[in-house]
Amino acid sequence: MVKQGVVPEDLNRPFFEAANEGRLVIQNCSACDRLHFPPRAACDRCGSGDNMEWKQMSGRGKIYNYGVVYDCPVASLKEDLPFNLAAIMLDEDPGILMYSHLPGVPADEVPVGGAVQVIFEATANGQKVPEWQVVT
Amino acid sequence: MAILISFDIDGTLEVGDPPGPLTMEMVRIVQDKGFLIGSCSDRPPSSQRSLWEEHQINVDFAVAKHLLAGVKSDFNADAYYHIGDREDLDRQNALRSGFEFLWPDEAAAQPWFLPEK
Amino acid sequence: MTTQMAPESMYRSTEGLGVWEHRGKVASVGIGHSPTARRWDGRAETSVGALSIQALRTAIADAGVSPDQVDGLVLVPVTTTGAHWPEDQPVPMDVVNAFNPTDDPLDGVGQLSAEWIIKNMPELTNVKFTMYAPGCMSAAIVVAAQAVGDGLASNCLVLKGWHNLEGRYNHGGISASDEVPGSFAISPGRTLWGAPGCFGTALQFAQYCTKYGKNHDMMAPFMQNSRRNGLLFPEGYWAQHRPEQLTPEDYLSSRWIAKPANLFDNDIPIMVAAAYLFTTADRAQDMAQKPVYILNHASSRGVARSITPTLEEVEAETAATGRKIYEGAGITADDLSFENMYDGFAQFHQFHIEGLRYRGMQPGDALDFYQTDISIEGPNPILSSGGNIGSGRSRFWMHTDCMQQIQGRAGARSLTGVKPEIAVSGGPMPMGGNFTVWSATPD
Ligand SMILES: [Zn+2]
Repeated sequence: MVKQGVVPEDLNRPFFEAANEGRLVIQNCSACDRLHFPPRAACDRCGSGDNMEWKQMSGRGKIYNYGVVYDCPVASLKEDLPFNLAAIMLDEDPGILMYSHLPGVPADEVPVGGAVQVIFEATANGQKVPEWQVVT
Repeated sequence: MAILISFDIDGTLEVGDPPGPLTMEMVRIVQDKGFLIGSCSDRPPSSQRSLWEEHQINVDFAVAKHLLAGVKSDFNADAYYHIGDREDLDRQNALRSGFEFLWPDEAAAQPWFLPEK
Repeated sequence: MTTQMAPESMYRSTEGLGVWEHRGKVASVGIGHSPTARRWDGRAETSVGALSIQALRTAIADAGVSPDQVDGLVLVPVTTTGAHWPEDQPVPMDVVNAFNPTDDPLDGVGQLSAEWIIKNMPELTNVKFTMYAPGCMSAAIVVAAQAVGDGLASNCLVLKGWHNLEGRYNHGGISASDEVPGSFAISPGRTLWGAPGCFGTALQFAQYCTKYGKNHDMMAPFMQNSRRNGLLFPEGYWAQHRPEQLTPEDYLSSRWIAKPANLFDNDIPIMVAAAYLFTTADRAQDMAQKPVYILNHASSRGVARSITPTLEEVEAETAATGRKIYEGAGITADDLSFENMYDGFAQFHQFHIEGLRYRGMQPGDALDFYQTDISIEGPNPILSSGGNIGSGRSRFWMHTDCMQQIQGRAGARSLTGVKPEIAVSGGPMPMGGNFTVWSATPD
């Protein structure tokens, strides 16, 4: 599955640059020790943007739950229908969720609660994004 | 040679919403010529059937969009056509299901729909 | 006159606010609906502007007031069901000029301003208060109720119109482009991963089924009941255009959009407008219809922590919404005769009613409840309006139904298993919406 190309912006550039280097970084407010994803200008707890930094994650997570997409608005993904779309909880903080197509897992055969490991996948313009593989 | 035609409804048949170019009379003409006919639409099968009944057309099948492939295995024909107005739900679905595909305007120009002389 | 978006201070969105200061002092007395259509056919008389005028005039007449007595108008300026006017396509000037246009040619075609309404309803000679509400009728109702209570208007129209243009929901624009900005790629909701509009709800529903041991088939009685109630709603799309029941077989054999959400778990976008006339409880006594008193309004401003709301976040938020609804109205769950919480996606109606603790329900109970008698004839009616599933995407059937049931003019849809005295309606999302408590009496 080739995803649409991604053009990073200021707020999320560190996330995408790290992805190109094979690292998963998530925004963290060092004052509150609280992770944020998607990236935000200010911490949702203390309201300040002064202590936001990018923190490297282990790249391990668990599958929260999933759906199987049969009718998808994104033109470039239509030829891959149906496909899994899962929400991944980071091991560092299960309140932080990331989407995944779970490459390699047949549609609707998703082990809910199962462990996953991050990989990095190139999109149509070469920009890499995190994806997740089931740990067997 | 037996031909099977699957009609989408909305945007394809004159009774659809929006109405399409194919009239119920055209459907009757191909049926009289011995074509196998039916509908494949996002309308529930029960309402597809009542729509046909309303127009006194006794169709061979009325199925949900994702069950088109089943029509091919249920009926023996030499050629299978699906007529519809949506790229993914009709054209791609038809090709995936082993059907030939026609847009409603293309279909309306087929000689099938001309009355027998 | 410039019209402002309602300030956040008009909403009651936190717990602990006590009983609403205007409890029982504001009433709805007029209802007006336009006809429905699947899509706009391009004619002036079926434009969203024309439908809105029709709904407003009907509501005024229904209340039995003269147009010059109307002094307030609250409306939602956004009218799209998803599709916006294509930038490369000219707005049809014959339609624009069939009305008294404003500076923006899209007014009345692809959006609505208060100015356009006033210009095209010359009989409204005394409107001194206008305000915009975001999104849907549920917000406009809350704003109008607060405005009348606060004395900003005494006879206030409330309006929501919808236009539905050709094309499929969200399939154009950024979904068709080769590259997307980073913020879109990892934004909540639709992303690089191709989540359709219903995905967030489908994911919550999947987790609901996992957590409580339920399954999608258990939704069938709810869907059948909703369509049945919708077909008894003469103002609705299915009743007007395709009076077909939705059988459990139809529902369960439908194609998936994002399993566990299928085609029918999504509502159908339509063209329609509705208007209400709100007034003070005192003035309501002299009007044509039995007043329906507003006991409270409450709002949810839930924010998901990460990319999509989890079931756990939704459950916490709907429970808080339930508490706010009851606190401000000075009632408990036991006082509700019936409910009309939002359903457009079908799979979150249960979150709303579990949050309300309707009929004593706790989280995880609703799908079992759906297997019991939930009809309008029974003691535990569920969504007597039929909601969006029953009548198409308007997000206002549930409000109209609350009023009509309490006024005793719900026709074939009239509740017979309960006496309609107090009801709650509202939406849209479990994590963000506006809710109103309606009552046959002011106290
Ligand atoms: Zn902080």
